[in-house]
Amino acid sequence: MTLTATSRVAGPGRRLWRTPEFTLGVIAAAGFVALAIATGGNLLSAGTLEAFFRFLAVPIVIGLSQMVVLAVGQMNLAVGALTGFCAMVAAWLMLEAGLPAPIAVLAALTLGLAVGVANGALVVLTRINGFIVTLATMTIIQGLRYGVNGPDTFQGYSEGLRAFGRASILGLPAVFLVAIAVAILVALFFGRTVTGRQLLASGGSPFAARLSGISNDRSLIIAHGLSGLLAGVAAVITVSASGSVNATIGDDLLLPSFAAPIIGGVALAGGMVSVVGTLLAAFLVRLVDVMQAQFGINPRWVDLIIGAVVLGAVLLGTLRQRIRERST
Amino acid sequence: MTAQVETAAPPAEPHRKPRRIPWWANPRLGLVVLLVLMVTLFSIIRPAFLDTRLTLTPLQSDISVYLVVGLAQLCVLSLGHMNMAVGRMAATSAFTMGLVHHTFDGGLLVSLLAGLLAGALLGAVAGLIISRTGVNSFVVTLAMDFALVGLITILYTSVVDGVAFPTMPAGMAALRFDTFADYCAGDLCGPRIPLVVPFAIAAALLAGLLFRWSRLGREILMAGANLRAAELSGIPTRSRVVQAHALSGFFAALAGFLLAANNGAFSAGLGDSLLLPSFLAPVLGGTLLAGGAVSVLGTVLGAALTQVIYKGLNLLQFQLDQLQLYIGLVLLAALSLDRARHVLAERRGARP
Repeated sequence: MTLTATSRVAGPGRRLWRTPEFTLGVIAAAGFVALAIATGGNLLSAGTLEAFFRFLAVPIVIGLSQMVVLAVGQMNLAVGALTGFCAMVAAWLMLEAGLPAPIAVLAALTLGLAVGVANGALVVLTRINGFIVTLATMTIIQGLRYGVNGPDTFQGYSEGLRAFGRASILGLPAVFLVAIAVAILVALFFGRTVTGRQLLASGGSPFAARLSGISNDRSLIIAHGLSGLLAGVAAVITVSASGSVNATIGDDLLLPSFAAPIIGGVALAGGMVSVVGTLLAAFLVRLVDVMQAQFGINPRWVDLIIGAVVLGAVLLGTLRQRIRERST
Repeated sequence: MTAQVETAAPPAEPHRKPRRIPWWANPRLGLVVLLVLMVTLFSIIRPAFLDTRLTLTPLQSDISVYLVVGLAQLCVLSLGHMNMAVGRMAATSAFTMGLVHHTFDGGLLVSLLAGLLAGALLGAVAGLIISRTGVNSFVVTLAMDFALVGLITILYTSVVDGVAFPTMPAGMAALRFDTFADYCAGDLCGPRIPLVVPFAIAAALLAGLLFRWSRLGREILMAGANLRAAELSGIPTRSRVVQAHALSGFFAALAGFLLAANNGAFSAGLGDSLLLPSFLAPVLGGTLLAGGAVSVLGTVLGAALTQVIYKGLNLLQFQLDQLQLYIGLVLLAALSLDRARHVLAERRGARP
């Protein structure tokens, strides 16, 4: 459900079937069923279905990572590069430094958090637009990511971590469940905690937030820090699910990171988030991916379709808003 | 050489007396100092940096491309918009140029004009969608970028069955390799300036004149500074948005042409690395993301500075990916310095 600073968490005001998430959910379900029928049930076979959800985990987490900064009206261009950097550092810690997997995982999360906080601090201290700051830190992080191991690939690290990446619980991949758990935590953060509500208030109207005694600077740093932490989570999922990492990890994540929240109905202006929308949008994008793989379509059509879907979703949202304004 | 445009008098704050910024707070001056410092530093460490044939001539070709792509971004930054599809617009326009040459056998000029037209049209479509629907420009151009990424490869595959056109129009090779020194009138030869440079100078002049002197440019800046005030003053803001985006597409197409000339091919991957530099040059030059103020001269300096740093670090045999690290650090440092200068200037100004 869409959350803003002023909306009540479980308010009875909006009927379920009128929310954008409901529309998205119907589209996602219809697309899934259609694809299942078109592939002659192949999609529902255990292997395909598992792969479908396994590679859904990273898009979900990276979409949430972008959503958190969009909530305060900022952007984080460094999410993809940061994911790659954390993944490389985690692999380096396991292989070169010989540390056990849990410590490497913790280190990757801490690193993501630290870089995110640094982003936020830079935005607050220099008052430079967050877009530009993260553009600069993105290029820096890309350099660092390459510096970890040059052009070489890390592989054959911790067997336990890779087993976790392959593991399934009740037919669902463990990494996907991690992504869902993260999504629930993010939803609770924005819906139930004071800090989360303050973030939304800062994003919705910085001036009003300041008058109510909320520190906008603090909100910016928390949002960027959380975004970095989520990029760290995406890195851990990548490391465990893919079995090998190199310096190109994360290059293809920047655009999907925006696609998921935007299709999901999150406004770029800040002040509102939609965890469910982001989840469903990531699901939709993954459907397009699978469709391409199943039918052997030129992968380039995928980008074309996703572009059209992003634009269509946004246009639909504007249209819906206009109709609602007219009817009230 | 280049016109420089300060903000149109902000109509939003009539009560505040306009204050002159002290000369030392001018971001352009900081860029010039930084540029001189960098050039001196690199030529001391590597005297080869001042080698005309090896470094300076290719450097000018590179600056030309990144200046024009910076101008493409500047045109929409003037509105407070962004164009995330500059690179792909450049690549699509380059495809159009290649197509006109390859299939219809048009000459260099016809191909170039067709490409520029294609770029302007793409920009206008983006502008139309933005102005009609009121959707954020970032989202629209990002979606457009997605769409064009796919489209370009499909087009190349269907037309030439590869990722590049096999031939180039006559004259492109001259644009790539020749300098004015190759054209002599008697004993008098031109300077060692590549032939692509005049294109970039013309583009910068065009942008400078437009935003400084023309009604269209001033009205675009007004719309960027305060959309509502501009609308109330009778400016057709919707068509100004379309025109600014069309101009952005036009410059992106020109950048695509210059890059194709430098690379020696119209290829599908042409615009992949243009997006970030397109922001670097204008932002370093003091153009705001908020809109309402542009600096063409600053963009020239910003493009020159980034390319000097790239070239210099390249000569010092840094790897491409390490280069990024330093470019990012320099960008952050330059912006922070700029910010610090600005704050200092405001403090001085506050106590007259």
